[in-house]
Amino acid sequence: MMNNIIEINNLRKIYSNGNEALKGININIEKGKFFGLLGPNGAGKTTTIGILTGLINLTSGNVKVDGLDILRDYKKTRKMIGLSPQEINLDVFFTIKELLVFQGGYYGLSLKESKERVDNILKDLGLGDKINSKVRQLSGGMKRRVQIAKALIHDPEIIILDEPTAGVDIELRHYLWDSLRDMNINDNKTILLTTHYIEEAEILCNEVAIIDDGEIIAQGSPNELIESDGESNINITIDKWDKNILKDYEISYKDNMLSIKSKNTERDVPKIINELAKSNISIHKLNINKANLEDVFIKLTGKKITDDK
Amino acid sequence: MINRPFLTLVYREVWRFLVLYKQTIMPGIITSALYMVIFGQALGSRIKLENNVEYIIFIIPGITMMSVISQSYANSSSSIMQAKYLKFIDDYLIAPISGFELSMSFIIGAILRGVINGILIIITCSLFTNLTIANYSLSLFFLVVVSCVFGAVGVIVGIVAKTWDSVGVLGTFVFMPLSMLGGVFWSIDMLPESWAFVALYNPLYWMINGLRYSMIGVSEISIVFSIVVSIIFAIIFTAIASIMFSKGYKIKS
Repeated sequence: MMNNIIEINNLRKIYSNGNEALKGININIEKGKFFGLLGPNGAGKTTTIGILTGLINLTSGNVKVDGLDILRDYKKTRKMIGLSPQEINLDVFFTIKELLVFQGGYYGLSLKESKERVDNILKDLGLGDKINSKVRQLSGGMKRRVQIAKALIHDPEIIILDEPTAGVDIELRHYLWDSLRDMNINDNKTILLTTHYIEEAEILCNEVAIIDDGEIIAQGSPNELIESDGESNINITIDKWDKNILKDYEISYKDNMLSIKSKNTERDVPKIINELAKSNISIHKLNINKANLEDVFIKLTGKKITDDK
Repeated sequence: MINRPFLTLVYREVWRFLVLYKQTIMPGIITSALYMVIFGQALGSRIKLENNVEYIIFIIPGITMMSVISQSYANSSSSIMQAKYLKFIDDYLIAPISGFELSMSFIIGAILRGVINGILIIITCSLFTNLTIANYSLSLFFLVVVSCVFGAVGVIVGIVAKTWDSVGVLGTFVFMPLSMLGGVFWSIDMLPESWAFVALYNPLYWMINGLRYSMIGVSEISIVFSIVVSIIFAIIFTAIASIMFSKGYKIKS
């Protein structure tokens, strides 16, 4: 509890059109975590981080950042947060350097500090040669990186990224993943990422909360969630079948294909192979469809995470 | 309030209009020079005023104020509209800056654009006339306070307006007529009694006459009342603009 850098308590948001976007959610994020807020479009992810950063007014509940209330102590809490919004929102009037220097100033950095940080961050993000370019001269991927540079300029404790890889190519996606992992591990930044890419959450996050229709329906490490609510499929092609074996498993058998559901494939696969061998059943082929967070989501909500609300 | 985030925002606002000086400063100077030539020199000699002031001198405060009003209003309204349009207004809303500081940064940007325009127009006009300023500090006071009023109005309109069109409409259909009817080119004694009565209800009439008094030492009305009206409007609109930013009216969900 003491190490929670973000505490969201019973947070509700009802928009003026009556839409209840958040139905009293609770999320605690430990300092140094790479935390994923996973859910389909319209689930309440952007509303949650909008409230956290001050873009959206909450209806009830409270949010604390490092023990400080985001409404009462907003000047302190906002300095601790860097946000990269989902939509590109860059001022086209200034050069990249100018707009980042201003951004640093909004968070209290001196001109000198800001300029130094801009040079370093742009170099790190591979934009060193674009420092004097204007936004209109940049490609989509470069704009996305500038967007992330804006979130990092004041060296915040918490980096919040709303769908950072939405619409970016695979190369940039992997580049961003590496950069974010580096910030999390080497700079000890707490990262809150919203995404509806399962792979992204599984690869990057050491904890995820699954949100659907304004409610948190599960929270834990990806492995814990998959173990508790996901089921892998072990598919084995065999030469014959004996229905008296493997009684402890949920099995389907058709045309020499044995399909077995498993919550823990590492434990079950050797056992299954042993039992088949004891019954003199030959294995021609074996493959495992590992459960992922998508399966967890489907099990908990009855729909795919990529389905819009 | 005087902190680095606030000063950065002010700096940004000022830099924005200084870089765009061809759009933000030059037009006011050129327009006022044309007014000087056309209204002052071509037509002015045929107009006699009761207080023996030359017509060309009489219209300088009005021309100045007309430009100050439009430039200060344009500065804050267009800056906020652009920030809304390109969505970087979110950068301001998530920064550690209060609603009051936010609105004041836009208003100060507007004040500086209004005052710079006003001073340059007065200098330009003085090239065509033998204008001598009666009271420098009072003149500066009116330039600052009126820029503040319309800078704050620009903030309010910038926040509320959904399109650029509605920002322009207010300028064209409200502020321009109010300025023209506020005594830019005429003295109240030139008007029929009924219109003169209407003019007294136009706050711009009091502001223009306040500047006229401070510049040429002639006023048709109470200078104290001019000062009070200008300050009250500045306070009211600044307060409204600050509350709107603090509450996130129309800009936060």
